[in-house]
Amino acid sequence: MRVPVPLKILGFTVATTAFYTLVGQLVPQKEVHPPKDTTLEKEMASGELVKAGKEIMEGKGLCSPCHTIGKSGALPFPDLDGIGARAATRRPGLSAVDYLAQSLYDPNVYIVPGFNPGMPVINEPPIGLTDQEVLAVMAYLQSLGGQVTVTTESKVWPLASGSGAAPPAGRD
Amino acid sequence: MKGRLNAKIAIASAVVVTLALAATVGIVRFVLSTEYRAPERSDQTEQTPRVQAQQDEAAAKAKADREKPYIEESYRRFPVVGSRLAVWVLAQLHLLFAAFVLAVPLFALIIEFIGWLNGDKRYDELAHEFTKLLSVSLSLTATFGAFLLFMLVLLYPKFMNYLMHVFSPTFAPYVLLFFFEAFFLYTYYYGWGKFSPVTHLLLGLGLNIVGTAIMLIANSWLTFMTTPAGISESGAVISTWAAVRNYTWMPINIHRFIANVAFGGSVAAAYAAFKFLVAKTDEERAHYDWMGYIGNFVAICAFLPLPFAGYWLASEIYAYSQTLGITMMGGAFSWLFIIQAVLIGNLFLGANYYLWLGMGRVQASERFQGYIKFLLILIALCFAVWATPRSIIATVSETRAMGGGAHPQLGYLGVMSAKNTAVNILILTTFVSFLLYRRSGRTPTVAWAKLGNALQVAISLLAGSIVLFLGIYGYFVEASVRIGLSIPQVGSVLFAMIAVTAIDVLMYRNAKSLGETHWGRIHPVSQYVLIFLAVTFTWLMGLMGYVRSGLRQHWHVYGVVRDTSVDAFTPTLGYATRVVSVTVLLFFLLIGFVFWLASLSDHKKEQA
Repeated sequence: MRVPVPLKILGFTVATTAFYTLVGQLVPQKEVHPPKDTTLEKEMASGELVKAGKEIMEGKGLCSPCHTIGKSGALPFPDLDGIGARAATRRPGLSAVDYLAQSLYDPNVYIVPGFNPGMPVINEPPIGLTDQEVLAVMAYLQSLGGQVTVTTESKVWPLASGSGAAPPAGRD
Repeated sequence: MKGRLNAKIAIASAVVVTLALAATVGIVRFVLSTEYRAPERSDQTEQTPRVQAQQDEAAAKAKADREKPYIEESYRRFPVVGSRLAVWVLAQLHLLFAAFVLAVPLFALIIEFIGWLNGDKRYDELAHEFTKLLSVSLSLTATFGAFLLFMLVLLYPKFMNYLMHVFSPTFAPYVLLFFFEAFFLYTYYYGWGKFSPVTHLLLGLGLNIVGTAIMLIANSWLTFMTTPAGISESGAVISTWAAVRNYTWMPINIHRFIANVAFGGSVAAAYAAFKFLVAKTDEERAHYDWMGYIGNFVAICAFLPLPFAGYWLASEIYAYSQTLGITMMGGAFSWLFIIQAVLIGNLFLGANYYLWLGMGRVQASERFQGYIKFLLILIALCFAVWATPRSIIATVSETRAMGGGAHPQLGYLGVMSAKNTAVNILILTTFVSFLLYRRSGRTPTVAWAKLGNALQVAISLLAGSIVLFLGIYGYFVEASVRIGLSIPQVGSVLFAMIAVTAIDVLMYRNAKSLGETHWGRIHPVSQYVLIFLAVTFTWLMGLMGYVRSGLRQHWHVYGVVRDTSVDAFTPTLGYATRVVSVTVLLFFLLIGFVFWLASLSDHKKEQA
């Protein structure tokens, strides 16, 4: 039996489309839901705060697609391993807490040498972390090689020294 | 005695009857006096607790109605499939037809212009045949556009209200341009052969200018949604022009313009392939083989610079927001680009295969066929590199054995340095295939032919070497340097293509013919390759349309108007590809209808 040409073309079109659909089913399948706000209790142990900060970094904060922890080589953005200790020595005149707060609230004031600017302001849309959520993130960052000093009661921004508004001191 | 008895009975009967009558009258009066009477027929309103309650209720309802506040609805739900899917399919169908309607006039005009310059009537007829597909397509574009608009207003009223707040000054010009589009299109089509050639060409030019202007306006709306500009922190409009001219507006304009031409060329080539396969005479086959070749040539010419336009668009997205860029390339959508690599790899393979099959219709093309296997190896290698993911799907133990998500060796091929190199070499290889096809059946007669050949080979090899060197160099430098390397890679490939073509045109001027080109003498598989390319282009457009729109994730307007509907989540890629497939099949069913309608006029001519 001879199959009419239009039917052959239809079959061929469906087969091609089915092939691409199959390719689409073979890649990892993940549904991404809108982030939920994290409510932090007033009296929170630092361990719990660190845990909440880690969750925020991997979820609502959208930190993990860019920043790695414990990787080396030609990375697109700074690796965060040891940032808890490094933060205190990054910029003269800024404590570890001040440096971390500035990096989150006003990230383009200082760019780590070898990298491009691009870090979003973390408390504005589209990420829009609350001040409490930022504190949790800072606690987690401090825990990466340093000592956790921030609590849910800490006031970290604007910086007490006013350095937050200072122009870039160069890409040292 | 008997008479007295009768009198007594009569008296007693009379008494009984009188009593019975009196009782009946009494009963009747009693019944009548207690009959139900409706209040309206009553002379006096009877106040009872029930009536009072009814009155109170009615009064309360009237008060509530008077005081009902106006609450603007944010969303309405489309039955069964939901609002997002309904709008998604409609938008995609509208955009596919719009792309076709914008692209076909462009290359119809160019072909008509070439025919007018060289006086070859075949070009004029070919341009006319392409235009035949337009009139029904324009109606379908407009219908889907109107349907889409109604659905958006109905299902997303609050968001549409915001878009109207920002873009209201652009709506009237848009509608006006649409009128002009219809005017130019129908005058261009129905006026074929009825105006002077110059007038007709000017009508075609008008059609293209108006069509492009429509696209520019519509692009401003959708690009604003991803990279909003010209608004205050609360979203109030400051400058509509700034909102139009947002970060991704011009890159999308250029990208869409080129992609529309590639897509339109491929669909027109698929039409020719269909006509070739159902042709009854050699003459028809020759005509449609030529038409398919031209359509595909247009598609591939537009396709080659498309990745460069894509780079520009992606870099503008990064420039606007690193978060958005990372979401696109390294986050939720990173695997989508592996699917894209499969599609683009297939496009390159299909385009090259069609050119190689096409050599069969040219006499004395055998001398070039030995090169095909090397080109195929190169294409297959580049395809494999491009489709290599950065991280591999693996079990926990496999991931541990690899020391992470990336394969210890193959992982190096999954990064941008390798992929940029692969795509640039793919483009160069396709260009070489085209060059070989172009030379089939001809030999240059100029004295400097050997030098010209050597120069072409040197330029191509130099470009390939630069691309390869920069690709490897990218592994050893910082991110800030690496990102910039794609520009010299692209630049060297573009330079090679332009320089080699220029030399070729000069070298093959007055070339000696080694044999004729037998249009129509090509394996039927080639026609299925054209259909495959059209389906792949369409599917690719559907997929990239999804990523452009889906990139915003839970935002209608990124960072400004949040999506709070039940559809605010980003679906899986499996789901997205199923939707794309359904849309593509719907499009091809409808475009099949357009082809059928276009071929009805052929039947009419045959019968005449």
